[in-house]
Amino acid sequence: MSDLVLENLRKQFGSFVAVDGADLTFENGKLTALLGPSGCGKTTLLRMIAGLESPSRGKIMLNGQDIAPLTAEQRKFGMVFQSFALFPHLNVARNVSYSLRIAGVDAKTRRARAQELLELVQLGDKGRNRIGELSGGQRQRVAIARALAQNPEIFLLDEPMSALDAKLRNDMQMELRLLQQQLGITTIVVTHDQREAMTMADRIVVMSQGRIEQVGTPQEIYHRPANPFVASFIGNANLLQGRTIKNGVRVDQTELIVKGQGELVPGAEVTVFCRHEAVRLSTDSLGENCVPGLVTFVRDEGVAREIHLETPVGRITAEIPGSFHETVRIGDRLIAELSPDTLHLLPVAEGVAA
Amino acid sequence: MTALPLPARSPFKRLGLLHVAVILTLATIPFLLVFAISFGHKVEGAAWVWSLEFSNYKRFFVGSDYPDTVSFLYLKYLWYSVWYALVAAVLAVATAFPFVWQMIRLSRRAQTLWLVFFLCSLTFSEVFIVMGWDILMSNRSGLPMLFRETGITDWLKANGGLDLLREWGLATPRNVRFKPSQFATILTLTYLVWPYAVILLYPPISKIEREVIEAARTMGAGPLTVMRTVVTPMVRTPLIGAVLLLFVFLLGAYVTIAVFADPSSHTLSISVYEAVRGATLNAPFGAAQAVILLLTAAGVLVIGQRFMSAKSGGR
Repeated sequence: MSDLVLENLRKQFGSFVAVDGADLTFENGKLTALLGPSGCGKTTLLRMIAGLESPSRGKIMLNGQDIAPLTAEQRKFGMVFQSFALFPHLNVARNVSYSLRIAGVDAKTRRARAQELLELVQLGDKGRNRIGELSGGQRQRVAIARALAQNPEIFLLDEPMSALDAKLRNDMQMELRLLQQQLGITTIVVTHDQREAMTMADRIVVMSQGRIEQVGTPQEIYHRPANPFVASFIGNANLLQGRTIKNGVRVDQTELIVKGQGELVPGAEVTVFCRHEAVRLSTDSLGENCVPGLVTFVRDEGVAREIHLETPVGRITAEIPGSFHETVRIGDRLIAELSPDTLHLLPVAEGVAA
Repeated sequence: MTALPLPARSPFKRLGLLHVAVILTLATIPFLLVFAISFGHKVEGAAWVWSLEFSNYKRFFVGSDYPDTVSFLYLKYLWYSVWYALVAAVLAVATAFPFVWQMIRLSRRAQTLWLVFFLCSLTFSEVFIVMGWDILMSNRSGLPMLFRETGITDWLKANGGLDLLREWGLATPRNVRFKPSQFATILTLTYLVWPYAVILLYPPISKIEREVIEAARTMGAGPLTVMRTVVTPMVRTPLIGAVLLLFVFLLGAYVTIAVFADPSSHTLSISVYEAVRGATLNAPFGAAQAVILLLTAAGVLVIGQRFMSAKSGGR
């Protein structure tokens, strides 16, 4: 089986452009997350892959063939919906074997396959139950088993965790990931939850306003965001506006050294990116890139502590491990150290709130 | 503080009981009267007297001269009542179902307009509707006239269509003829309850989630398969419910039958009216027929109920 390739895919509803010129390759056997805020076009993109929306332009290539003209029923990609969309008039086993029944598979094979899949999602004893008797998590497992019953080439999930509570969501993310690795099926998950995308995906596609902002592994997206939108959408980061100099960047009157960015052209406007947890706080100035600051806000989150500092380069937020003994108070004077190899330069934001 | 509401509520409670009692009385007394009268005795050349005899029921099932002669005339009327009502109810629901399925895809505004239109159409009385269809079907001014003037009649004559229609009782040797006919009767009855069918089916069908349909499509189900394996089973109970309701409603249809049905295939509602107000004037026998019509309706409802619960039971 080959990769699923989108070529310049576009979808327009009237004058509204939902997806604008998407070029993407979904690697065979990998789990890709489409991540972005609501209304960014990720669900429309997934629905075009499923065949539930027809693209206004572009190609969807699978096995060397453009499948864009095919209907959803011809593609037969399994899909798990946000509401699970189970059939209330069928019991659990019949829900799972629905695709086989309409394909004319005999009853014995159908039953065996339904049982096999229900055991895979740990619902082996629930086959005869009615859908109304299941909990949210169980319904989701049924929806997953049902979508997999037809051995789809591509497995699609649209916000599959959003109807579950936080604890269950965590468990299901792990479980879905394990299941996907076990089956080795090309999987695309739509989500607006960056944590979910990071936990499950081999690759993340970050989208905003119908455009693809960045494609990369969770680590790339987290540590090397391509632009201020991705930087602010994934995790928490300090974004400072400055101008490049020979070996770094000048923010106001302060010069910060930046490493690992290749040759810098002095004078260009850039955004400096630094993760909250990469900021180190101390009382004496020791290393490079030390900025003095005044503590204006402290928030304890148990495992970590968030501290806001007013500094000459603007407000810097640091996240340090939570500690029972050390205390930081509002009004304390501390030094923030922005280590050169944790700084990353981004092009200046265009109308994106950083 | 907590004791206050109790004495305040008790007069209302008494009022509630009174309310229930009044409703029960108003609902059951007419029925009990009809039931009692059905055992009464008709005095020849006069009215009737209270009695407890079963002659009216005997007359209904086997004729008054039994065992010398047997007559199933009134059973035949009952059969026609059930037949017309059932066929028209099924036809109305079967045709309204795909219509509503298309309707729910329209914009909210368009759906509201359609619903308002159907609600308005309910203000037309049976008499009004029958009058319209009467003109449409009449031999001198309606469809038969149109058939003849446009040459369709000649065309039918030429290729044997008219002979076929004659076999079905829908033509004379000269032209098509829709009155009287079962065709016109059932068509008008169907038309009469069609708006009700739409209004009854709209809520359950509009509640079907779009995602459920889409899920079926991603599993390889084409539009017809989706209809057959997902939509219809999901609304089976409302479908049967609508058929039952319209059936009971149509059992009592009078004007349509009087205008469009052949006297040999009239229904019990006509016969009841004849007995109570019409030419024969036999209130006890009319009452007996009414009781049997009511019991038939109840019987069909019970069977329908069983059918629904059996179908939706555990599988």
